[in-house]
Amino acid sequence: MAAEPSVRELRELVAEFQPNRGHLLPALHKVQDTYGYIPKRAIEVIAKQLRTTPALVYGALSFYSEFRTVPPAKTEIAWCSGPACRLMGGDRIREALEHTLELPLGGHSEDHRYALHLGQCNGTCHEAPQIWVNGKVVGRLTVAEAIRLARRIREEA
Amino acid sequence: MNERLQAIIDGAKRSYEAWLSNGRPKVSVCLDTSSLARGADETLARIREVVEREGIDADVGITGSWGFCWLEPTVTVRTAAGTRTILYGEVTPDRAEEFVRRTLLENGEYPELALGVVEGVSSEGVPPLSEHRFMKGQVRRLMANCGVIDPENIDHYLARGGYEGFARALEMTPEQIIQEVLDSGLGGRGGGGFPTGRKWDFLRNATAEPRYLVCNADEGDPGAWVNRILMEGDPQLIIEGMLIAARATNAREGYIYIRYEYPLAFQRMKKAVEQAYEKGLLGKDIVGSGLDFDLIVFRGAGSYVCGEETGLMSSIDGYRGMPRIKPPFPAQAGLWNKPTNVNNVESYANAPLILRHGAAWWSGVSDAKDKGTKMFTISGAVKQAGCVEIPFGYTVRQLLEQYGGGMRDGSVLKGFQPGGPLSGILPASEIDLPLALDPYRERGMFLGSGGVVFFDQHTSIIDLCTYFVGFAEDESCGRCTTCHGGTQRAVEILRRMAVGGGRESDLDKLEDLTRTLVWSNCLHGQFALTTVKLALRYFRDEFETVIREKRDPAKALPGLIRYVLKNPSAASVEEAAAICPTKAIVETHAGWELDDDLCIRCGACREVAPDAVDVVDRFPARVPDVAAASG
Repeated sequence: MAAEPSVRELRELVAEFQPNRGHLLPALHKVQDTYGYIPKRAIEVIAKQLRTTPALVYGALSFYSEFRTVPPAKTEIAWCSGPACRLMGGDRIREALEHTLELPLGGHSEDHRYALHLGQCNGTCHEAPQIWVNGKVVGRLTVAEAIRLARRIREEA
Repeated sequence: MNERLQAIIDGAKRSYEAWLSNGRPKVSVCLDTSSLARGADETLARIREVVEREGIDADVGITGSWGFCWLEPTVTVRTAAGTRTILYGEVTPDRAEEFVRRTLLENGEYPELALGVVEGVSSEGVPPLSEHRFMKGQVRRLMANCGVIDPENIDHYLARGGYEGFARALEMTPEQIIQEVLDSGLGGRGGGGFPTGRKWDFLRNATAEPRYLVCNADEGDPGAWVNRILMEGDPQLIIEGMLIAARATNAREGYIYIRYEYPLAFQRMKKAVEQAYEKGLLGKDIVGSGLDFDLIVFRGAGSYVCGEETGLMSSIDGYRGMPRIKPPFPAQAGLWNKPTNVNNVESYANAPLILRHGAAWWSGVSDAKDKGTKMFTISGAVKQAGCVEIPFGYTVRQLLEQYGGGMRDGSVLKGFQPGGPLSGILPASEIDLPLALDPYRERGMFLGSGGVVFFDQHTSIIDLCTYFVGFAEDESCGRCTTCHGGTQRAVEILRRMAVGGGRESDLDKLEDLTRTLVWSNCLHGQFALTTVKLALRYFRDEFETVIREKRDPAKALPGLIRYVLKNPSAASVEEAAAICPTKAIVETHAGWELDDDLCIRCGACREVAPDAVDVVDRFPARVPDVAAASG
């Protein structure tokens, strides 16, 4: 795993953002797009840049489910929580994934090889029930297929 | 018309016409989130590869979606002379080579995959697209460009009537524009139905400066993707709508707030905004009219409650996306406490049509009380998940049977949910309700922003309630105790019911909660238990069965069912044992056994060994008192 970026590097990254201009979310997105997550250090750097407090920055970032403070795993599995998927057996797929990967939703393996997330419906309901593996849809899934896929990920990731 | 705008439009028309008449056939792959899920990017790459390899002189490009989501990837092919354009479905990557060969190298058509002729002469093998069952009765106004133009090329939009509505708005006073929108009868498309013209008038009459426009593209209702179809298929339409609103309200700055889960819509809107700036259609003194308008595409970060307008503004402001108390309304104190107007994507998108064609044309689409067309997405246990645009007033049955293709094989309609997790569910007996605002209001729910989800006999109402209330609980901002505490309490009761711990008093408790939550500050809390309220009204017997008999008629609640080996000696049992993620199927000296303590009810064993595994009620049957009493 790469070391946390330096304060100087982070300062340069968010230098374009200004206070009171609605720049907090864009700044957090830029950091996450760059490193895949928001390093702890970035919170203080952003707070300084936007002339606010780390508490307000952390307060905002912790409100939104897609900001993450841990680096992404090599294989990210997102389970679609949408209604169409639910009606087609999505919840049983979640149970099976959690047990096969031995992870709760929102968890990651200790070595950061794989992680399991809750994903929100994006309207690809013709693929229900589905999961996304590193952003790629694996749809029209059966529970058995989900288990086989999760086993392969555990072995290979 | 404003001369500079006229010149921009004329220029775009020339370049579009030149492209259309360049003598090359045109292959356009629908590239949107739905088609990408079916490998459209690969289809596009393969088509490009084959075209290049074979040295075919053809233009390969992209479009947005026609709404045939279940048949993605869709591809249109226009002949070299422009005599005929055919739409094809299910052009999967493995079919790309054959597709290019048949459509570009041989006789020019591939009837097996053809959905219809978009333009030009139809043949026996390929009838007109308008005769396709999915297209009949649709009125494509908002979606007129979806699937037709390249959404990443502003010239395509400009050449097909784009910015003509804005041109007309430039010749009108703000009062006249608002009057036109009022005359049209356009109601807010986010679900509220509040007259858009009146909202604009509030902002126009605001006293403070500067003032802001916000486009709510945080389409968070799971099962709804109408805004995504528009943003990915025709983004300029939304920008033009906001420009018209800016002209009518004297707003100088606008935000389009797009949910995190729509990365492609975000990219497309950003690109569209950049192109509008390049053409001089955004920025300072737009086309010399004196109008200044800057537009910022803003990306959410995963929060449903940011779809509530004050939550959305808190989010842009850089805070937790918590809704606040109204009044003051956004028109008085919105973004940075300045006057702000918030409309849904589809509301803004209608403005160019109203201004271009006039209010009378726009509202004349049907006799329904609710004016104009509305986009709907269909999903759930249906054959065809897709997106349609129809006038208000069609029935839910038509949506399901004609556009959704009916229920999947083996599925019987049990009920449906219009309008997202806060709206509530209705039973199959209400299938003939029209798609209009009033019938749902009368039932204490709302039609919502366009998503309609159909569920079948395998769905447990208690599970559905747990799911929707659980969603509302997860997404509650935490401000009101009624909401965060009330949803939590409701979920606790529902979960207890789902494992056989239901009590007679639970139904009263749940009803009590539905009455309490309406005192929450924002719509999120106020409507969080609508599903429960309506479920208790329409599916009460199912609650009673679950409570009294500890039995789930849908055989879906994990706590009320058991997986058993009905045929332990079947050959397939070994496979069932192998797939089980908890190793609950074990071989003992007495043969194969299923250990109920280890079983997590995922059902994988039954999928691989349907002849060996069965689902039974967890608790032994009891003769319920009610059944005895009622005979």
